[in-house]
Amino acid sequence: MISQVFILSSKGDHLIYKDFRGEAGKDAVNKFYEMVTALTGGQPPVVMKHKELHFVHIRQGGLYWVATTKADASPFTIIEFLNRLTALVKDYCGCLSEKSVQMNFALIYELLDEVVDFGYIQTTSTDILKNFIQTEAVSSKPFSLFDLSNVGLFGADTQQNKVAPSAAATRPIVSSQGEQGGKNEIFVDVIERMSVVIGANGVLMKADIEGEIRVKCYMPSCSEMRIGLNEEFSIGKSQLSGYGAAVRVDECSFHQAVRLDEFDTYRILKVCPSQGEQTVMQYQLCDDLPTAPPFRLFPSIERDSGGRLLMYLKLRCDLPPKSLSQELSSPDQSAELQPKNKAVHWEIPRFPGGAQLSALFKLEVSGLSAASLQEVGPVSLSFELPKYTSTGLQIRFLRLSPIQPGPSQRWVRYVTHSDSYTIRI
Amino acid sequence: MTDSKYFTTTKKGEIFELKAELNSDKKEKKKEAVKKVIASMTVGKDVSALFPDVVNCMQTDNLELKKLVYLYLMNYAKSQPDMAIMAVNTFVKDCEDPNPLIRALAVRTMGCIRVDKITEYLCEPLRKCLKDEDPYVRKTAAVCVAKLHDINAQLVEDQGFLDTLKDLISDSNPMVVANAVAALSEIAESHPNSNLLDLNPQSINKLLTALNECTEWGQIFILDCLANYTPRDDRESQSICERVTPRLSHANSAVVLSAVKVLMKFMEMLPKDLDYYGTLLKKLAPPLVTLLSAEPELQYVALRNINLIVQKRPEILKHEMKVFFVKYNDPIYVKLEKLDIMIRLASQANIAQVLAELKEYATEVDVDFVRKAVRAIGRCAIKVEQSAERCVSTLLDLIQTKVNYVVQEAIVVIKDIFRKYPNKYESVIATLCENLDSLDEPEARAAMIWIVGEYAERIDNADELLESFLEGFHDESTQVQLQLLTAIVKLFLKKPTETQELVQQVLSLATQDSDNPDLRDRGYIYWRLLSTDPVAAKEVVLAEKPLISEETDLIEPTLLEELICHIGTLASVYHKPPSAFVEGSRGVMHKRLPARTGSGEGTECPDVGNAAGGSAPEAAPSIIPSQGDLLGDLLNLDLPAVLLPLMGAGFGAAPAVMPASLNAPVGGGLGDLFDLGGGVGMPMGAYIPPKTVWLPAMKAKGLEISGTFARRAGVIQMELVLTNKAMSVMTDFAIQFNRNSFGLAPAGPLQVLTPLGPNQTIEVSLPLSTVGPVMKMDPLNNLQVAVKNNIDVFYFSCQYPISMLFVEDGKMERQVFLATWKDIPNDNESQFQIQDCHLNSEAASNKLQGSNIFTIAKRTVEGQDMLYMSIKLSNGIWVLAELKVQAGNPNYTISLKCRAPEVSQCVFQCYEAVLKN
Repeated sequence: MISQVFILSSKGDHLIYKDFRGEAGKDAVNKFYEMVTALTGGQPPVVMKHKELHFVHIRQGGLYWVATTKADASPFTIIEFLNRLTALVKDYCGCLSEKSVQMNFALIYELLDEVVDFGYIQTTSTDILKNFIQTEAVSSKPFSLFDLSNVGLFGADTQQNKVAPSAAATRPIVSSQGEQGGKNEIFVDVIERMSVVIGANGVLMKADIEGEIRVKCYMPSCSEMRIGLNEEFSIGKSQLSGYGAAVRVDECSFHQAVRLDEFDTYRILKVCPSQGEQTVMQYQLCDDLPTAPPFRLFPSIERDSGGRLLMYLKLRCDLPPKSLSQELSSPDQSAELQPKNKAVHWEIPRFPGGAQLSALFKLEVSGLSAASLQEVGPVSLSFELPKYTSTGLQIRFLRLSPIQPGPSQRWVRYVTHSDSYTIRI
Repeated sequence: MTDSKYFTTTKKGEIFELKAELNSDKKEKKKEAVKKVIASMTVGKDVSALFPDVVNCMQTDNLELKKLVYLYLMNYAKSQPDMAIMAVNTFVKDCEDPNPLIRALAVRTMGCIRVDKITEYLCEPLRKCLKDEDPYVRKTAAVCVAKLHDINAQLVEDQGFLDTLKDLISDSNPMVVANAVAALSEIAESHPNSNLLDLNPQSINKLLTALNECTEWGQIFILDCLANYTPRDDRESQSICERVTPRLSHANSAVVLSAVKVLMKFMEMLPKDLDYYGTLLKKLAPPLVTLLSAEPELQYVALRNINLIVQKRPEILKHEMKVFFVKYNDPIYVKLEKLDIMIRLASQANIAQVLAELKEYATEVDVDFVRKAVRAIGRCAIKVEQSAERCVSTLLDLIQTKVNYVVQEAIVVIKDIFRKYPNKYESVIATLCENLDSLDEPEARAAMIWIVGEYAERIDNADELLESFLEGFHDESTQVQLQLLTAIVKLFLKKPTETQELVQQVLSLATQDSDNPDLRDRGYIYWRLLSTDPVAAKEVVLAEKPLISEETDLIEPTLLEELICHIGTLASVYHKPPSAFVEGSRGVMHKRLPARTGSGEGTECPDVGNAAGGSAPEAAPSIIPSQGDLLGDLLNLDLPAVLLPLMGAGFGAAPAVMPASLNAPVGGGLGDLFDLGGGVGMPMGAYIPPKTVWLPAMKAKGLEISGTFARRAGVIQMELVLTNKAMSVMTDFAIQFNRNSFGLAPAGPLQVLTPLGPNQTIEVSLPLSTVGPVMKMDPLNNLQVAVKNNIDVFYFSCQYPISMLFVEDGKMERQVFLATWKDIPNDNESQFQIQDCHLNSEAASNKLQGSNIFTIAKRTVEGQDMLYMSIKLSNGIWVLAELKVQAGNPNYTISLKCRAPEVSQCVFQCYEAVLKN
């Protein structure tokens, strides 16, 4: 049971405060901010306790989204709820920022009132909520079709967050101006995150992929959408086909609105997308990648005569050259030493497939001994591979029914991110 | 135009401006004004002065404006109760509105206005709304009952809302069902004994049906409610499990965890040999693994839960080791949790993989993580014997890096490895000694000193090493000082000739120059021991140590069971029972896992298998044969294998705990030593009940017998006082016992050597043995005695405190205790209250120890001390106990578990007697 919900800016300003059960005081807000800013790195920030009150919070869009409870509530429920709440606010207000929350506080209060009653979560479905919500969203800037020229990936919110959200995906779903702006659009993103560990001897020790298909829908009247996946898509280890061309995942879970009657035979997902953003499918693949990992490293670490540490790193991208576009030209790299993390940070803006890059780092290390060479490593890579899925999952087609009147636009995008890509030395 | 303008700073007279705007005729302007008011409210400004003006805006057909006004009302009604009444009419009217949205809005808001006066107006509209035709209104009204109950519970009962709420469980709309379940669950928590939810197979069936149609949040309410149900048998349990299992693939992790909770609980009832049991185990793994791909916040919460699940049922995740390997970008708190689970899952099958990982972690940057990784290597060595050698060599590699904190951690764990595998890895000592100078943490220093002392005979310069520590003796921490004292004494006993000076030095440092009582006492004991009898000193100081156990940080089984019932809640994150952090009466009810039923019993307790494979009560070993069997039969009972070696020691002549007093080579000097110890504060002696009259003179022709029983130095004694109240002299005394429950019999003749003259009294003590014939008595501790003298034979019966049968080696090892506690079926557990006892747990534990009730572990949860104790009876029966002592509460709770539950009552009486005297 949720006792209070509040949203704070990163500086601690109160943006939204809602008390559902009248069991805790408003001073909890300041107490929370005090506690969360005083946390040291090692302490788990997820659940915090002050006297009888328990705080659960997440950070999204630079804001603290906090729920408190006095009972032995489920932190899973609360975290999932806060995540949904951010998604709802994003759907309704266009984007998540201090400004958009501030501008739409009346709307958010109304949402909160419908979403939670007396601490019980009622619904977080945009479709249902549409029937109740009266307040209109205020968008920070009017939407323009011309912004579509640099359509980015709205789903790309990993810790790197390298891709700026495009304006296309940051407008409120329910717009009073009706047909203003991009009318009928639907975005389908296939996003994969890769965790790889390559041992010091170059052997692949672990390779996991977590993927998801996300749909963001701006169509007011879309009754059904059919998403066709690769026909040879298979789930689970037992179904390995002998030809080796199959696209396989270990585990697969679906949004509860997805109908799977054509999935088994034709690999078609049927969804009636509600307006807003949804993850329709999540999947995982462990240890058995269909292709080689995209990057390999050939390190050599030694001590030179002057007692300096020499690190010669050769990094090779094993993607087929054609998988990246033409414009990837000579890299302008940079590198810096980060004494705080005891790390060298090497940045490579663009890396063409099939290419090989190298770098030589010379480091002055006090008290360098032969044994300290053992301490060097591992190398961790963060990257983003556009238009690429490591599982090979593809979307064959995207059909909408009934056929949309007027022009509609459908976008399918693929991207693979590194989640944790480690190469040991 | 945006809302952000409302947040601009206030100017003087702002309230007046707002007032004017609120009273404006234009709807738009009114709305803007209310928004401004709410914005001020959010940032904490006091706008209560505007209450009447805002309430005036309430009567409008604009839903948006109405909602805003209600928002304001909910916030300020409490501080302005009188004015809140003004709003009541509108609420009541709104509850009749043709628009269901407005009806629901009114009833929802009214419930949130926590003003007593309003509640009476709320009842009628609420009654109507509970029966409304629109499900949206009904589901809102259901929640409103819980709100009202929170304000005025009596009113809710009087008005019969609870029954209406119960009816809603059968509503056609799943959303209404979910809210009704949620409301009832909450209300039921404050009435622990009411049968509000009335869960029975029919209602469970309804809930399971609603489960498939609900929103994800509704599913959570229903699953949590299901988890409180106890199925009648394994078949019902299985059918519920089958219907809950599909929830495991839900995308919402909260739904998954609630389902896991239900399954973990109901699985307890399934027989382990059932195919379905195996299937279920397999199905539980993938959803748990999936949780680890969520964001770090969820991952952390999931890992805390997995930690519990792995302790309860390691088989679920035994093949999933790899998913717990840390990623370089995991936050540190996630890394530490993963590490903990890795060790719990480590086994011979995966140890190579685990070690390779741990070694990598030990070279990372984060100091806390590296330390924990090094410790983990040590724990692997202790847990998986086959890997010990590899672990030690890994640790040696790490020591070679010379990184200060790595070396220190490594030494601390190597000490534990030596404890577990004595005389196996001494070859590494030389390497350890090289790093002596770099140790600056007390724990590492103490560990190193322990190693030097323990293996002094193999380290040539042990004396030099220890001497070097001695220089700064007074600057060391207590831990190091104590260890140094012991190590030097060990060294002296091993190499007496060259270290005499050193030992004198350390003894005088400890006894004369230190003001630490622990150190001083230990110093004195060694000193006395060494000066009186070096041979005995050797026996004591260099005695063989018990091996250390595998896993040191397991959660107590009772707590673990309770936590398993709270999977997915805050309790599972804190690893504390809800009663420790939730206020009020809530959560006081401890949840327990259901007991296995029917055929399950046979598989659960394989150790009693040959006692006829029948149902539970028969399968439990009946410790006391009803016929007069011989003791031999008692010993042949099928106690589980773990216990046998321990019991064996008990029947030998020398209990391990007090070797000195019984079979030390030279008695005299050591007797002294123990006297000294008694003065310093050893546990006090065993409890001896006051003497009572067993045989009144009237009944025995002038012979009066009173007496008591005592256990002194391991010998049971019957202490008798014989008084001659007759006129003639009594002679020729003899005594005999009837067969009894524990085979008590006189170990010698009754020593009354001189004739007993009239009005004379004599005190005799009669040593007893426990090897006599056995017959079950009622009560269990009843003893029938015959005393003969020159006049006649007299019979009487008396009851002995069972505590005199508690033997001195009744201290169970922690690990064995945990295993045994788990192993004894819950049916054998009995609970008692001890009232009016004003001891703290420390004193209680000391007192009990005097009577051979040994405290094995103590845990403190929110002011409540839990003492775990073991007792062994002279016939080898073990009794395990959990004593709960709450500061300031004179009533203790005690739970006893024993394979022979018949003795529990007697044992409890002893507790009471010992503690109250």
